[in-house]
Amino acid sequence: MQAAIATPGTFTGAFSLQSDINQPVGRVRDATPGRDAGGAELVAQAAAGDVRAFELLYRTHLPRVHSLVRRMAGGRDVDEIAQDVFVRVWQKLGTFRGDSAFTTWLHRLTVNVVIERFRSENLRRQRHKDGEDIFEMLPAPARSGDLSMDFETAMLKLPDGARQIFVLHDVEGYKHVEIAALLEISPGTSKAQLHRARMMLRKHLR
Amino acid sequence: MGNMNSHDFWTDRLSDYADDELTADERSAVDAHLTGCGDCRQILRELQAVTARARTLTDAGPDRDLWPGVAAGIGAAPAREPRVLELRTARRFSFTLPQLVAASLALMVLSGGMVWLARLGGNGTDIPATGAARFERPPALAVTFANAHYDEAIADLQQTLEAGRAKLDPETVRVLEQNLTAIDTAIEQCRTALAADPANLYLNEHLVAAKKRKLALLRRATAMTDTES
Repeated sequence: MQAAIATPGTFTGAFSLQSDINQPVGRVRDATPGRDAGGAELVAQAAAGDVRAFELLYRTHLPRVHSLVRRMAGGRDVDEIAQDVFVRVWQKLGTFRGDSAFTTWLHRLTVNVVIERFRSENLRRQRHKDGEDIFEMLPAPARSGDLSMDFETAMLKLPDGARQIFVLHDVEGYKHVEIAALLEISPGTSKAQLHRARMMLRKHLR
Repeated sequence: MGNMNSHDFWTDRLSDYADDELTADERSAVDAHLTGCGDCRQILRELQAVTARARTLTDAGPDRDLWPGVAAGIGAAPAREPRVLELRTARRFSFTLPQLVAASLALMVLSGGMVWLARLGGNGTDIPATGAARFERPPALAVTFANAHYDEAIADLQQTLEAGRAKLDPETVRVLEQNLTAIDTAIEQCRTALAADPANLYLNEHLVAAKKRKLALLRRATAMTDTES
C-alpha cells in the first residue's frame, strides 16, 4: 500500500515565483489553438507597446483571469490582484516566447501572482491551521437555490492550501507533479490536500 | 502504513482511486473494500460529483471595470474620465509670457480690424443679419457695468504690480510691458470707436474681452512677484 501520503495540514512548502511561465501546465480551458491564434497579432502588438492592443487583450481575458484569481485567492482582494496580474502581463510580455498558447502563459502568470501574494501576506499558515473550523461554520446549501453558486461559495471558504490545490487540479486540470513544483510541496501533500478539499465540498452537493 | 481495518484508511484513498493515481495492487485492494462497504461507495460517488462540478464552473468578470487601475499601473493614461482632466490641466498651464505676447498681438490686429469694420458699418450693423428680421440692439448697460468693474480691478492690480516690479526679471518686465501695451492699444481702439457709436454691442463686448485679457495678464504678473519674493 502507498505509504508516502502526507497527512492533511502538512503543507509547509514555500511558494516559488521562479518557475518558468513559458512551460505549458494544466489543461487551461481556453488554450485551444484556434482561440489563441486569433489573438497572436494582438499579443505581438501589445508586446511592442501598443496600449490599445493590450487593452483588448485585457478585455478578452479578464473574465478568465478574474475567476481564476477569485477561486485561488478565496475571494479576497480579487480586483486588486487581477489588476496586478495585468500589470505583470504588460511588464513580462516581452518574455513570452510563444512556446505555449498565450492563454497558458497568462494562466501560469496569474497563478504565480496569487501565490506570491499569499506568501507575502504570510496568511497561508494561519489559514491552514484554522481552515476546517471555518468550513464547519458554512451554512448548509440552499436546496432550491443555485447549486453552482453554492458550490463556488463553499469553494471560496476552503482553507487556502486545500482550495488552491483543488482549483489547480480539479478546475484547471493541473497534475499533482505540476502543483507540487508550483507550490514547492510534495506530490503526496498535493494529493492529500485535494482529497481534503473534495471531502469538504461533497457536503454541498448532497 | 495506516491501519487497514480503519475506515478512514480506505476513505483517504478514494480520491486517488477516482483519479487513477493508485498502483495496480492498491487499486485492487480498494476495489475489494468497496465491494463490501456501502459508505465508501457513497463517498466515492460524492467525490466524483465534486470533480464533475468543478469542471463545469463558468467564468465571470468583475462588477466594475478594472482597466483604469491597470492603465495607471502600466503608466498609460486611463482611457476615459482622466482624459478630460488632462485637457483641463494642459489649458491651465499652457500660457507663457511669449504666448501671451503673440496672443495680444493677434488681438491687437484683430481688434483694429474689427473696430475699423464696426466704424464702417455706421449704426452698429457690422454683424450681418440672418433672415428678414432686423437685429435690435439691446441696451449696453450691462456692458458698461462690466467695464467699470474691470477698470477697478485693473487699477488695483497695476498698483500691486508697480510695487513688486523690482522683484521681476528685467526680461520678464520687458515682455510684460510689450504685452500690456498691445492690449492697451486694442482697448484704446475700442474706446475711440465707441465714442462714435456708444451703443454698439460688439464694440462694448470687445472692450470687455480686451480688459479681461489685461486683467488675466496682470493677475499672472502679480502672482509672479509673489513667487519671486
